[in-house]
Amino acid sequence: MKYRMRYLYAELKKTVRIFPLMLFSAMILVLLTGGAAFGAARRMEREPLAVSVDIGVVVRGDDRITRLALVYVENMESAAKLCRFVQVSEEDGRHMLAEGKLAALVVLPEELVEGIMDGRNPSVDVLFPRDARLEAMLFRELAEAGEGLLRVAQAQIYGAGDTAVQYGLTDELSVMEAEIDSFNLAFALDRLVLYDEERVSATGRLSVAQHYAASGIVLFLLLSGMAAYSVMQPEPAAFRRQLMRAGVGGLWQNLCRWLCGFLYLLCLAGVLCVVWWGIRLCAPEAAMRLQEILMSAGRRGIGGRIGMLLLVLAAAASFHCMIYSASGSRTSGILLVFLLSIAAVYLSGGFVPPAFLPGAVRTVGEALPVSWMIRACGSLFAGYGAGTEGCTAWLCLYAVVFESAACGLERLRSRHSG
Amino acid sequence: MMTMITVEDLKSAYGRKQILKGASFMAGQGDCVGIVGANGCGKSTLLSILAGTLRPKAGRVLYGGAPAWQGGAAGHMRADMGTIRRMTGYVPQDNPLIPELTVLDNLRLWYPDRDVLQWQLQQGVLKMLGVDGFSRMQASKLSGGMKKRVSIGIAMASNPPILLLDEPSAALDLICKEDIRKYLQAYLQHQGTVVITTHEESELDLCSRIYVMNDGRLRPIDRSLRGEALVREF
Repeated sequence: MKYRMRYLYAELKKTVRIFPLMLFSAMILVLLTGGAAFGAARRMEREPLAVSVDIGVVVRGDDRITRLALVYVENMESAAKLCRFVQVSEEDGRHMLAEGKLAALVVLPEELVEGIMDGRNPSVDVLFPRDARLEAMLFRELAEAGEGLLRVAQAQIYGAGDTAVQYGLTDELSVMEAEIDSFNLAFALDRLVLYDEERVSATGRLSVAQHYAASGIVLFLLLSGMAAYSVMQPEPAAFRRQLMRAGVGGLWQNLCRWLCGFLYLLCLAGVLCVVWWGIRLCAPEAAMRLQEILMSAGRRGIGGRIGMLLLVLAAAASFHCMIYSASGSRTSGILLVFLLSIAAVYLSGGFVPPAFLPGAVRTVGEALPVSWMIRACGSLFAGYGAGTEGCTAWLCLYAVVFESAACGLERLRSRHSG
Repeated sequence: MMTMITVEDLKSAYGRKQILKGASFMAGQGDCVGIVGANGCGKSTLLSILAGTLRPKAGRVLYGGAPAWQGGAAGHMRADMGTIRRMTGYVPQDNPLIPELTVLDNLRLWYPDRDVLQWQLQQGVLKMLGVDGFSRMQASKLSGGMKKRVSIGIAMASNPPILLLDEPSAALDLICKEDIRKYLQAYLQHQGTVVITTHEESELDLCSRIYVMNDGRLRPIDRSLRGEALVREF
């Protein structure tokens, strides 16, 4: 027991001794990643994201009036904001639809405008791809909603017309139709609604700022493992054997380095808190603005938030221990931590929100611990809410699994090295 | 003279490769047993087993008559780590140091209490090895010779009657080799038992018995053999 405690003490002392160096390395890392993130954000500001929905339009026959109407619709500001109409032949259109180049294909019949004017109402075929992407799904929803509204409006007009004829009120028919039209335009087809701003976030219950702040914290914690190789990498074989002789087993050795890694990450989190308090003292207005952007009142109190943070740190420390146990050398360990952290954060939607990732990537990402870490970090800003259920259990499980894997790998390595 | 080490028919393997195929030897108090042989012949494996860091496949090891390794009921080899720890100090080829800590911090990990450590630094083993002169230095900044001196100091922490050294002079300068040789001489004079694997002829001068490790077995040779005559025995 005395050797175990002495070894733990020595490891803690080592961690404390090299902490300034690790902190310095981590800060450089923050500057690099922060600089890259800032640059990306500025670029995104300059080039706002726009979802351009390409719609193929087929005009059957040489129908000039229909083409004229189409040009009119194309130039309407509300339509131009959402769609780009591409006139194609029917064959090309179907081909492009199958290739995913079009979100939808609208086939306009001959004499469409005349048909609408004389009441024949020829039908318009709107074709959607089988595996619709997000913008195609969006357009489909809009088209179906529009179709529903038109159907109701037509039913109102015909119903009112029939009723008026039945009761001999044909003189009032035009007034009734005008009133129905004005009601529909005022309420059901209110075009001004298109200019209303409704915020829908691809990042779920978190705002975009909260999502990226949470992802940034997780990425920073994971990448910080690169600077902590001295603490997290397994002991050299000679030292490990000497410890074994003294009765300090592999499990204890792993637990000690996990604890040191955890404390290192905790200190980093503490440094971030100190920086935050520094901003609050030096630039209270900026801090207030940042707080308004990032923080939202949630059900989880300060205790719950700290608990979540500790769990994220525990899982991250275990992740580092496992990677350094799996890698044979310091260099390969650092490289693995870097590559796996970037890959895991990408797959978990840390760079691009999961909603914009391909289905297969999203499925893989959801199973990764990093996605739970991002959710848990998100709850630091947004409090408890949908999406964080099970975070505690999953993060505990991942911490235990990674640590067990680290122990197993160490054991395997010891056997191979003799 | 009391028998301190008895090794009987020791066998060991890495996977399917047999390394030791029945190594046996004995050593008494004040004996220095030298083990020579080609690289990869199993010298370090033998020392690792004697130090308790590697499990043999078969055989028996006794320290001062007490079993250190012996076959258990199910055929598995069982170690009495208490006996091994109490009886042996082990100096592996690579130095078991935490590079980020000072020499003193490293020594504190292995020495039972601070008073003993202070005494050893002021007038004991560590003083003899010259460790007191650089005890405040960071381990990563030590030269190879300094590290080896600290490693021997660590092995001597529990004042064991048997010292196992795995090529202690490899890549050291002449002064350091001479200092280590002097220390081993003193240790032997105090009735300590040494098992040393080496390629250094100067260290063989210390040995009362020399064995050649060949094809997984130990064969005693004339202790006066040197140079080509010694190599021919490999």
